[in-house]
Amino acid sequence: MNFTWFHRLGSPPYVYALARRLTPWFAWAAALLIIAGLYGGLVLAPPDYQQGDGFRIIYVHAPSAWMSLMVYTTMALAAAVGLIWRIKVAHAAAAACAPIGASFTVAALVTGSLWGQPMWGTYWQWDPRLTSELVLLFLYLGYMGLRAGIEDTQRADRASAVLAVVGIINVPVIHYSVTWWNSLHQAPSVMRLGKPTMQSSMLVPLLLMLLGFTVFFGAVLLVRLRAEILTRERTSGWIREALGA
Amino acid sequence: MKEFFDMGGYAAFVWPAYAITFAVVAANVIWARRSLRQAQASARRRLAARAEPA
Repeated sequence: MNFTWFHRLGSPPYVYALARRLTPWFAWAAALLIIAGLYGGLVLAPPDYQQGDGFRIIYVHAPSAWMSLMVYTTMALAAAVGLIWRIKVAHAAAAACAPIGASFTVAALVTGSLWGQPMWGTYWQWDPRLTSELVLLFLYLGYMGLRAGIEDTQRADRASAVLAVVGIINVPVIHYSVTWWNSLHQAPSVMRLGKPTMQSSMLVPLLLMLLGFTVFFGAVLLVRLRAEILTRERTSGWIREALGA
Repeated sequence: MKEFFDMGGYAAFVWPAYAITFAVVAANVIWARRSLRQAQASARRRLAARAEPA
């Protein structure tokens, strides 16, 4: 087994240059997928038999909620890699994830509440799914607050990584909250064992949106990762070259 | 067209949900670019400070 690719991923100059090269591909792929998903979701998909056109909120709510969980999982994995192997680039990636994840958690909460009002008759309920998603937002904010509060980047990396890794507990709690407890929130219709419970005319746009948002996360992460790498590399000569200075 | 914007009576919920989501998408693009620009500027300043020894 050849692990040189893994070692190269720990090298800041290599990752910086790779991130710069990959960003436009991710950005364009995300734009195309999301435009196709929007057209499918808003125009082609038929109204739901119970929720009418109100169900179309799913095409922004589910991708936002998926981002909130997927970005957190990425952040916790990167933080764990950084802690275990002391890889600076991994810590940089974890730090780059937090603001992205936090912002999409807000989007998931707000779009969910805009869906809840017409369907459940309330914007908010202290329900297991809603409450655990709100806890996720506080985890992101706590992570960012902790980093902001520690001047030394290495110490900030280690302390915030521990918080990220411990907080991963909340991810399965959110996912299974609708199965474990009696929740207002509907059960998963795509992220479940067995076949999705949606018609393909409704499902395909949703899958496009989920994939498009995921690729969008890749694009934003690559840009933020470069910023994080630059702030961690105080003395290296390669920066002069990378900046063309 | 009017029918499309009415969203079967759910317009007041559907469109704000789309607006907030794409506001978050746009904000992510803007924030990420700004943070890269700031990091590049401060790296340039560090390099310049080292180039001319005090």
